[in-house]
Amino acid sequence: MTTLTLSQHAAPGGLALDGSGPAASVELRGLSLAYAGRPVLDGLDWRLLPGQVVGLLGRNGVGKTTLLEALLGLRDARAGSATLFGQPLATLDDATRARIGFVPQQSQLFDWLTPRQLLAYFRSFYPKWNGPKAEALLARWEIPQDQQIAKLSGGQQQRLSIVRALAPEPDLLVLDEPVSSLDPIGRRDFLRELVEQVLDRGTTVVFSTHILSDLERVAFNVAFLAHGKIAVQAPLAELMDDCRRLTGPASRVDAHLRAQGLTPLSRRELDAGQVAVLAAHADATLPEGLHAERLSLEDLFAELTQ
Amino acid sequence: MSESLAFSINPGSPEPIYRQLMEQLRRRVASGALVAGQELPSVRELALALAVNPMTISKAYGLLEAEGLLERRRGLSMVVAAKHRHARSQAERIALLRPALQQAAEAARQLEVGPRDALELFKTILQEEPK
Repeated sequence: MTTLTLSQHAAPGGLALDGSGPAASVELRGLSLAYAGRPVLDGLDWRLLPGQVVGLLGRNGVGKTTLLEALLGLRDARAGSATLFGQPLATLDDATRARIGFVPQQSQLFDWLTPRQLLAYFRSFYPKWNGPKAEALLARWEIPQDQQIAKLSGGQQQRLSIVRALAPEPDLLVLDEPVSSLDPIGRRDFLRELVEQVLDRGTTVVFSTHILSDLERVAFNVAFLAHGKIAVQAPLAELMDDCRRLTGPASRVDAHLRAQGLTPLSRRELDAGQVAVLAAHADATLPEGLHAERLSLEDLFAELTQ
Repeated sequence: MSESLAFSINPGSPEPIYRQLMEQLRRRVASGALVAGQELPSVRELALALAVNPMTISKAYGLLEAEGLLERRRGLSMVVAAKHRHARSQAERIALLRPALQQAAEAARQLEVGPRDALELFKTILQEEPK
């Protein structure tokens, strides 16, 4: 793995990839959006390619939900453009809309219906509907079909919301904290279902979660949202292989970065004139007084979402 | 998937999952638990069993193929390469253990845990049931 591949992937919004490759499932350019007068997305560029499974990471309140909703056209951007499968979001046709599955953070189900009624209702909107799959998931995930949705547990409602999103066999699946109410076994089973979608249909998946262990298993790519932009998007394994956290006195760290021609991905001031930087740094001998360490996903999260 | 191929995935470590898989396969071949011609689970099977992205499995298999540990048979199945007919020698297996212990030694030094206590702990861990 070279530092070159990493720096390409690490270019903001993956701009290095512009103009080449297959049509993106999602393409956002210069997206800006304010919420209650406060800017949330600030000229954000983002590109998701077919078949990619991308984990969206960011601190609480940084705008992950806003970004996912804007990507689906549920929020109006102040500036910028969004296309899904090559079509401008504003004029998306029904056929393209039907290729998208969304599991919102708060399941928005019609809770006076039963799961059976709900699925029958949604079925009428989609050209494709995998009934047997929906049935199998309901049975496996122990969702009673004929009980009022309002009376289901939080976990059951969340699973029903996932079944509803998967049944139309979407080409793009957007999941906002889909597993927050599921227990570890339920989460593992859900992850298997995602893996199967990817294997069978090459579905593009983007999901946000704070459960990093789940994300590490299933997301081949990770995107870090900070200050209204995608700070870094790259294959997680490459980030872990190539990145080191260098710590030491600021002047020495900076001199070393300059000498190696490295641009740090993040920088954090520590006590007593020390800094910690994240850089694509091969395991090489370090100048005296500098320390390099490998990072787990949690460490990457801490450094890249500050 | 047979019991002997029950991989353990450790999310949260600085070791990417594809490397964890590679290391576990190398060890099984070295110990003779996996021998020449033995078929590995397909990418699909393993991805579903471990709930891991299929590209992560492909990456591990592909790199082990390049390394000469695995071979791709007609179709897509992966088998242990022909040259790995027997378990590696004791000396070679010990050499494979060295990097893991080196890391542990580094941690012990940083924590200023002396050799006697560190060895005592290692003995205890060796006797524990595997996770």
